[in-house]
Amino acid sequence: MAITVTIRTNSTGNAEPELKTLEPILKVENVWKLYHAGKVEVPALRGVNLDVLPGEAVAVMGPSGCGKSSLLYVIGGLATASRGKVLVDGNDLVAMGDAERTKLRRHKIGFVFQRFNLLPALTAKGNIAIAQYIHGDGFDPHRFEVVTKMLGLEGRLEHRPSEMSGGEQQRVAIARAIINEPKILLADEPTGNLDTKNSEIVLEMLRRLNKDLGQTIVMITHNPEATTYFDRVVHMRDGVIVDGVPAD
Amino acid sequence: MMGQFVFRNLFHRPMRTLIGVIAIAVEVTLVIVIVGLTSGMLQETAKRIEGIGADIMVQPSSSSVFLGFSGAPMPIKIGDKVHELKYVQYVSPALLQFNTSGGVETIWGIDPVSFRQVSNGFVFLEGHDMEGPDDMLIDDWQAKAKHVRLGDTYPLLNHNWKVAGIVEHGKAGRIFVPITTLQELVGARDKATIFLVKCTRPEHTPDVIAEIKELLPTNKVVPVKEYMSLMTSTNIPALQTFINSMIALAVSIGLLVIFLSMYTTVLERTRDIGVLKSLGASKFMIIRALLAETTLLCLLGIVAGIGLSYVVRAGFLSLFPTLSILITAGWVLRAGLIAIVGALIGASYPAWQASRKDAVEALAYD
Repeated sequence: MAITVTIRTNSTGNAEPELKTLEPILKVENVWKLYHAGKVEVPALRGVNLDVLPGEAVAVMGPSGCGKSSLLYVIGGLATASRGKVLVDGNDLVAMGDAERTKLRRHKIGFVFQRFNLLPALTAKGNIAIAQYIHGDGFDPHRFEVVTKMLGLEGRLEHRPSEMSGGEQQRVAIARAIINEPKILLADEPTGNLDTKNSEIVLEMLRRLNKDLGQTIVMITHNPEATTYFDRVVHMRDGVIVDGVPAD
Repeated sequence: MMGQFVFRNLFHRPMRTLIGVIAIAVEVTLVIVIVGLTSGMLQETAKRIEGIGADIMVQPSSSSVFLGFSGAPMPIKIGDKVHELKYVQYVSPALLQFNTSGGVETIWGIDPVSFRQVSNGFVFLEGHDMEGPDDMLIDDWQAKAKHVRLGDTYPLLNHNWKVAGIVEHGKAGRIFVPITTLQELVGARDKATIFLVKCTRPEHTPDVIAEIKELLPTNKVVPVKEYMSLMTSTNIPALQTFINSMIALAVSIGLLVIFLSMYTTVLERTRDIGVLKSLGASKFMIIRALLAETTLLCLLGIVAGIGLSYVVRAGFLSLFPTLSILITAGWVLRAGLIAIVGALIGASYPAWQASRKDAVEALAYD
């Protein structure tokens, strides 16, 4: 379903907003995710519907166990939906095999995790560069410089994760996630392990990515303040989305 | 980038890497030293036989390539008959007695005069030839190994011998005594184990062999030059099986250690594997990374193993100077290949298991 939206055109300096018809970059249709605990089926998602437009920043909120992380993993192709459709840039993840989903993830999805999940043996530079290597285009020094500069990592590139603060590690994780210019950035509680100051820094960086570079972001969070940085907040409860109101 | 990733992962847990390297090194060392010891001893024995200078050896029909195992079933008079043949210049009988008391050694009972004729004599480093019935000659390696000096008494076969001379190694055996005394001691009067035949000219060897075969159709007649080629592990009953068993044991050690090492590596890196999958790494890429890490670890182990082999050889030779350990480039290469193949087999299951890990579960792993 096409949606008519207002697109900001601040990059060209045009003050007049223009109307464009956009296809959602992410379309989730009646998605169910069932886990099996022995012979018992436990539904984590019960018919979720969600559309995200290109350049949109959406925060998904809800209590623990409501299915937020399951939704994120299904959207990112790390888990498969039991039923329904998940279209990422027009590609149906549910209909894909594991290898195809891996390929799509490589080219169109970036992940940021609550626990940073940096590779401990590699330096910050290595953690970012390995994403470029896996992407298959090799090391792009220009893109690398732009991203690390934007995230303020220039002085920390030769440090290992164990030698960096939580905030620095999360910035490296963001750099790793966006180095290949993914269509969608999925963030799973990115401020969950950070103090207030570092949380603000990380959220501000995510907002800049969205506003300045038009990066589409879907973020899961418990933090109500985090939602103020985003265009739209979606609330989940018991495996379903219960609303979709724009944030103030 | 993959190289850097593999390299850094390898050294992220230095103790585990060190244990893996040591296991591979031990495996490589075992293969090199065991093969080197067997082939070295065989070749050294063959060289000493060749070093006598005889052209032909006459042995009993059921004799072993290990000359000392053949007993003394041939009447010594056979030598006189062989001597009468055309193109035969000299014949020297020898009685060989295998001894395991106080060490493993073959005692050569020789007739000093005829042995000197066949072999052009010993090179004496100290002392002189056997003159009395209790005189003994030993070579320099044996003297060093047993800490024996000229004039010492050397008890052997319940008999006290006097060391009359120390000779240069490389001719026949390491211990020589008069054949008549040895015959008395072992109850083999007028018997010999082998006859060493010297032809008038080396090119007459085939003719002499033919004549001896006609004269002694049941005996084994071997040109000494062929003896070298007979002294290989494949010609020694069960030796090749022993070597193969030891190699299999060494490979099993390496394989199991690598399996355990990579298995624990994969467990420890479960979350890292989840991260790689979230970045879009394929199963093949994950397998390749782990196998590349195994190969690198293995190469370090091989280098260490080659070095260790030389250290072990030096240690063995200083403790047991009569041993010979032959380290050849061919077997070093083979030991390396065996180690790599074993290690890759050992790492295959953990790597395959890593590639199949569920990404979500892996990311949640603590």
